[in-house]
Amino acid sequence: MAAGPYNYSYIFKYIIIGDMGVGKSCLLHQFTEKKFMADCPHTIGVEFGTRIIEVASQKIKLQIWDTAGQERFRAVTRSYYRGAAGALMVYDITRRSTYNHLSSWLTDARNLTNPNTVIFLIGNKCDLDAQRDVTYEEAKQFAEENGLMFLECSAKTGENVEDAFLDTAKKIYQNIQDGSLDLNAAESGVQHKPATPRITMNAGVQPPNKEGCAC
Amino acid sequence: MADKEPGDVASAPASNNPLSRKLSKILETRLDNDKDMLEALKALSSFFVENNLRSRRNLRSDIEKRSLAINEDFLTAFQVVKEQLDDVYSDVQAMNECCLDMTNRLKAAKAKTHHLISQTTSLHNESQKLQVKEQVAQAFLDKFQLKPDEIKSLRGTRDGALQPDFFKALSRVKQIHSDCKFLLRTNHQTAGLEIMESMALHQESAYERLYRWAQNQCRLVTQDTPDVSPLLCQAMEALQDRPVLLKYSLDEFGKARRSSVVRGFIDALTRGGPGGTPRPIELHSHDPLRYVGDMLAWLHQASASEKEYLQSLLKSCTAANVQLDEQLGHITQGVCTPFKVRVEQVLVSEQDPVTLYRLDNLLKFYHHTIGQIVNTEAALLSTVAEIQDLSHRMFFNSLTSHANKLLDKVELPPSDLGPTDSLTQSLQLLRDVLACHDASVVPIDDKKQDYKQILSCVIDPLLQMCSMSASRLTTVDMAAYMVNCIHLMNSTLALYEFTDTRLEMLNAQTEAHVDTLVSEQASYILNRVGLAQMYGALQTYKTEQGPLSSLPGLDELAVKSAVNKFDSYLAQPDSLTLPQFHLILSSSVRESATKRSTELICQAYKQVYIAVLDPTHGYKDGPAVVPRTPEQVVHLLC
Repeated sequence: MAAGPYNYSYIFKYIIIGDMGVGKSCLLHQFTEKKFMADCPHTIGVEFGTRIIEVASQKIKLQIWDTAGQERFRAVTRSYYRGAAGALMVYDITRRSTYNHLSSWLTDARNLTNPNTVIFLIGNKCDLDAQRDVTYEEAKQFAEENGLMFLECSAKTGENVEDAFLDTAKKIYQNIQDGSLDLNAAESGVQHKPATPRITMNAGVQPPNKEGCAC
Repeated sequence: MADKEPGDVASAPASNNPLSRKLSKILETRLDNDKDMLEALKALSSFFVENNLRSRRNLRSDIEKRSLAINEDFLTAFQVVKEQLDDVYSDVQAMNECCLDMTNRLKAAKAKTHHLISQTTSLHNESQKLQVKEQVAQAFLDKFQLKPDEIKSLRGTRDGALQPDFFKALSRVKQIHSDCKFLLRTNHQTAGLEIMESMALHQESAYERLYRWAQNQCRLVTQDTPDVSPLLCQAMEALQDRPVLLKYSLDEFGKARRSSVVRGFIDALTRGGPGGTPRPIELHSHDPLRYVGDMLAWLHQASASEKEYLQSLLKSCTAANVQLDEQLGHITQGVCTPFKVRVEQVLVSEQDPVTLYRLDNLLKFYHHTIGQIVNTEAALLSTVAEIQDLSHRMFFNSLTSHANKLLDKVELPPSDLGPTDSLTQSLQLLRDVLACHDASVVPIDDKKQDYKQILSCVIDPLLQMCSMSASRLTTVDMAAYMVNCIHLMNSTLALYEFTDTRLEMLNAQTEAHVDTLVSEQASYILNRVGLAQMYGALQTYKTEQGPLSSLPGLDELAVKSAVNKFDSYLAQPDSLTLPQFHLILSSSVRESATKRSTELICQAYKQVYIAVLDPTHGYKDGPAVVPRTPEQVVHLLC
């Protein structure tokens, strides 16, 4: 049995939600490629990206599912909340309507994810301060009332983008440390790569089902 | 002696007399300056204490005695010195002898050691040569032989565990093996062959060990997230040289992952998340779209994750893409059956064409989405394609059965000749089905193809149904009814894309029915005013029949009374409009039909007018028979 160092200790699954055109895909692209993607096409259904980060000197792989904001894809994107450890809920600070829809996104997020899912509110496009339509204070208050983490970001300049993804990961990691997130439970959205011998890892996992037993 | 001749000085001349010369010399003598004299006098004063005759007489002998004594002293003193010098001499003599002896001995020794020295030098040279040889040999060994610890790490421990050193040693073996080829090009062929052979043996046993280890490791990756250790990645990289072994190891990996994915899928279906949130997918089985959508999303995410694991396992392998796709196909194959069974159940029990069509679109979308992750040969993709095909067929089956039901019990047209309920319901269904497309993401070509098929599946039977239900009606009723039905279809379809050809066809049909209506209306009016006979005769008239007025029923009187009746119609044109015209739903169709029938009437009148005024037809008082010019009629009617 090999006990060498692993590439990463955990996999966290994220989902990015929010209205069409708020810059979800651009945020993801900025985070994974460190580049701004101008003329980003509409997302069809879902797409996903990954990046390995470090939290508390643990390597963590983020698997980020970027959903389409268009209403017609709602039925498809809803299926991807399942098993997300973090949900990034994005609105556009220059378009009030995208802020007004947050409560419906939040309801979806709360209903379709597990109770420990960390929800992070992101006000995107903060580089366009002149066209601001939603104040920082207002959004901050909304976040506090609903127990969300909050930051204003810019996918264009990259401001705060790292922080949003990292803070979410830190919070999830903290939840694991506190024991409020049960790693052994399926669909917690966190997958642990054991650094300890496998026997302890398997302790809480059911014996493997035989293939097709439930068919 | 000077005081011996003092009397002689006065008697002899001063210059020639030796005495005087002596005297003068004495007198000239300056005692102060003569140190010897002073010394002598001092010494004399030490023993010449008493100046008397005796002592003056004895002075000489005293002095001589003293001189003798002094010389004797001197002699004895020198005697000692001489003896000592003699001693020194003898010593030096001895030393010289010694030295000579030593020189001789050295010479002898030198002569004796000369041979030894030359021997030593040659030995020394030899030793240097040997040292160089040793270095070369060492370098050769370094290059072409394994070190003991390398051999040890190649052989490994008894429990089969692998150390990172193993790969270093393995690459050394490989390097040596390939270096032997250079060796073979030189004249060290025997050594080259031998080393090559031993390295080949090492290599074989090492690969075998590596394979066993990798296989074991791969068997263990059954947990939700496999731990792809760097060591395993390295093992895969190393196994690339043995494609068969690599394939078998990957097969093991695939097998382990496959069962893990199946387990995960069943868990997601039946157990859900911690504390039941998110709820198990099967809890939504009453909602076919959600149920199937959740399963597909799960499969999509799972195949993406599995692909990542495979990629990280094979990250150091070059050109392993084929194997990666193959394994991914294998891994995702396990879930095909549980997935297929469930979706088939949903599809078979679903009756609603709208839901079926939505499912069809959903499956099409995921076929495309999952197709971006797994390759086309993957069982998962073909399963999704199969199910999608089934859903497609189920959808059209349900549409067709709906259409068949329509044809089975044809409704009679209502008295207002409007569309029947079944028609409006079917069109609503069509609207719902076509609306599904907005929520789907299938390529535009597929959409066009689908639309075509859907339209022919719905519109054709509907047209058939309308014709059947209209079959027992009068011509006018039927035309009006058909115009109404087609109009409704037309306005439904006009909202959607890709319906142009359909619309064209429907318009042509409307046109045909409107033609019927127009001609019916015109002939109705002509019949009612009595001009029909005249008009009919004009259409078939040939000159050999003689003047028109001579034909039966077309005499001046009859024509005149008909024209009179026509005149009263002109006063009240609406009175003779067919009731069916009012029942036409589309105002534009209604208007155009009315207009065209009016034009037809005007034309008919014009022909009658010209014929009556033509003297060859024998109407004597033509202008009285037809008081109005065609222009007046047009003016009145239009």
